[in-house]
Amino acid sequence: MSTLDVGAYSAREKGVVGLLGALGAFLLLAVVTGFLAPAYLLYLVGLSAMYMLLSMGLNVQWGYGGMINFSVAAFFGLGAYGTALLTASGSPISGGVSPVIALFGGLGLAAVLAVIIGYPTLKLRDDYLAIASLGLAEVVRIFILNESQWTAGSAGLTGIPLFFSDWPILGDLTYPYVFYVGGAPLFYTTQSVVTSLLNVVLVTVIVAAVYLFLRRIHRSPWGRVLRTIRTDEDLAETLGKNTFAFKMQAFVIGSLIMALAGVFYSHLVLFVSPQDLQPITTFYVWVAVILGGTGSDRGAMLGGFTIVAIQQGTRFMTDTGALPIGAAPLRLMLVGLLIIFIVRLRPEGILPPERELIWPDSLGGGRDE
Amino acid sequence: MAQILQYLANGLVFSSIIILGSIGLSLVYSIADFANFAHGDTMTLGAYGAFVAFGVFGGLGGTVLGLPIGFFLALAVGMALAAVVAVLTHVLVYKPLDTDSIGLLITSIGVAFVYRAVLQGTFGTDFLQYDIRRSGPIPLLLDTLDVAVTQRDVAIIVSAAVLVVGLHLLLQRTTLGRKMRATADNPDLARVSGIRTDRVILVMWVVGSALAAAGGVFLALYSQLDPRIGFNILLVVFAAVILGGIGSVYGAMLGGLLIGMLHELTPLLSDVGLPISNAYAPAVAFVIMVAVLLVRPRGIAGDMT
Repeated sequence: MSTLDVGAYSAREKGVVGLLGALGAFLLLAVVTGFLAPAYLLYLVGLSAMYMLLSMGLNVQWGYGGMINFSVAAFFGLGAYGTALLTASGSPISGGVSPVIALFGGLGLAAVLAVIIGYPTLKLRDDYLAIASLGLAEVVRIFILNESQWTAGSAGLTGIPLFFSDWPILGDLTYPYVFYVGGAPLFYTTQSVVTSLLNVVLVTVIVAAVYLFLRRIHRSPWGRVLRTIRTDEDLAETLGKNTFAFKMQAFVIGSLIMALAGVFYSHLVLFVSPQDLQPITTFYVWVAVILGGTGSDRGAMLGGFTIVAIQQGTRFMTDTGALPIGAAPLRLMLVGLLIIFIVRLRPEGILPPERELIWPDSLGGGRDE
Repeated sequence: MAQILQYLANGLVFSSIIILGSIGLSLVYSIADFANFAHGDTMTLGAYGAFVAFGVFGGLGGTVLGLPIGFFLALAVGMALAAVVAVLTHVLVYKPLDTDSIGLLITSIGVAFVYRAVLQGTFGTDFLQYDIRRSGPIPLLLDTLDVAVTQRDVAIIVSAAVLVVGLHLLLQRTTLGRKMRATADNPDLARVSGIRTDRVILVMWVVGSALAAAGGVFLALYSQLDPRIGFNILLVVFAAVILGGIGSVYGAMLGGLLIGMLHELTPLLSDVGLPISNAYAPAVAFVIMVAVLLVRPRGIAGDMT
C-alpha cells in the first residue's frame, strides 16, 4: 500500500454518489407511483446531460486553462441556432437538412466564433477577458435578435426535427409504439417516451465520449502544459511553450463542446429563441463548474446535474403555492446564494480534481484500477 | 444638422446616467480591486428605493426643473438605501472572503442575483414608472435649434452635474478625499502612512453606490423601471470605465461621456449608409471597449487619479 492513497474514494465522493443514488431512487419511485410522467423524467435526464456538456466545455477553458469565458451562452446559442437554421421547417434561410449534417453547421459556427472572440481577448488580463467575452456574447445575442431575415428574430425558430427523424428505423420509432409478446400487447407507450428515450441514449453517448476524451487529454502533456499556464503563465512561457496557442486550442475545444450541447438542446426542445442566449445561461454554467470543482470533469457533471435540479426543483416548489415567491426570483436567489456560499465555504468545489490528474498506472503500490 | 444636435442632446442625457454608474464601478475597481458585477443591480436597487419613497411623499412641495421636490427626496432615499445595502454587502459578503479578485468577481455575480431576486420577488417583472407627468419638449429649444429636449432631460443633466461636481470637491478639497485618492492609488502605502484604509473603503462603497443609485433613478426616469435595467446597462458602464481607464475616477467620467454619446450617436451610422440599427448601440459600445482593451489596456486616462 502506498502512502499516497489517492486510489481510494474519499468520504465526500461516497457521499455524492450516495446522494445521487438516493435522488435517482426517489425519481424512479415518483415515476412508478405515477407522480412523474416517464417522458418528463427522460426530458430531465436529457437536460441534465446538456448542462453537463456545457459545464465540461467551460471546465476545459476555466478549469484547465484559467480563461474566464463569460460567453458560454453565445457558443451554446450558435450550436443550437446552427443546427436549427439548417434543419427547421420554419427556418428563414434553409431548412430540411438532415440533423446529422446540420450538427456540423452548429459546430462550425461555434469554431469560427471561438477564434473571433479568442484571438483578440485571450491575451487580455483575466477580468478584462470576462468583461470582453460577456460583451461579445451580447453582440451575438443582439445580432440574432435583430437580423430576423436570417434568424427569425425574437420569434425564435420552430419546426426543428428530432435528431433521428430521418433515420430508417429510429425515425419510425417516434410513433406510438406497442410491444407485442405472443400476440398480446405487453407494453404500450406514447410517442414522447420513445423519442425521449432516444434522446437520452444519444446524449449519454455524447457525454460519455466527451468525458473520456477530456480525461485523456487532461492527463496528457497538453493538459499538463495548460495547467501550468493556469498556475503561472510566465513560467510556461519561460519553458518555451507558446501559451497563446495552447489557450486558443483549449478555448476552441471548450467552445465546440458547448456548441454540441446547443445542438442537442435544439433537437431536444425543438424550439430555440434569442432568450436562450441570455447571460443568465452563462452564469448557470459557471455555478455548475465552481460548485462541482474547478478543473474536475466529474465535478462539472455533478454541477450540471445540480443546475437542472435547481431549475426544475424551484418550479415544483412554487407550483404548490406554499411559497410567497415566484419560481424565477426563487431560482435567482438560490443560485446567487449558492455562488456566495461556494466561494466562501468551499472555493475548491465539491469534487475537486485529485486523482483525476494522475495516471492510474503511476500510483504504485500494486494497486490496479 | 438639427438631427446631429438632437443625437448629441440625447447623448448628454444618456452620458449623465452612464457617468454616475461608471464612477462607482471605477472606485470599487481601484479600491477593492475587482470587477463588481453587482454594480448594475445596485443601480436598480436605488431606482426601486426611490420608487417606493416617491410613493410615500411624491406630491410634496413645488417643482424644481419640472420635477416635484418629493422626487429629489425620493432620489436621496434611493441613494441612501443603495449605500446601506452596499456597505452591508461589503461587511457581510466581500470582507470575510479569503479569495483573489476573480473569486470576488464571481461572488459579485451571486450578490447581483440576490439583489435582483429580492426586487423581482417584491415588485414583479412589470414595467413601472415614477408617477410624474411627462411634459413636451422645451419650446424655446425646439423653436431656435429644432431640438426636442424635455425639462426632465435637463433635470437629469443638471442633477448629474451637481453630483459630479460634489464628488470632485470631496476628492480634491477635503482630507477624506485626499485619503480616498491615496488609498485608490496604493492601498498598502496609504495604510503604512497611517490612513485607516478600512474606513476609506467603506466611504468608497457609500459614495460609489449612492452615485450608482442616482444613475439608476435617472435611468428609470428616462425610460422605465424593471428589475433588469441595471444589469442591462452594466456592460455599457464597464465599457465606459475601461475606455476611461480602470481605477481613474476622472477617466471614468470621461469614458462615460464618450460612451454615452457614442451610444446615442449610433443612428448616425445608418444616416451615412451603414446598415447598423439602433438596437446595436450597446454592441457598438462593447466593440469599442474591446478595441480599447487591445490598443490601450490602461484606457485613455489610465494614469490619472
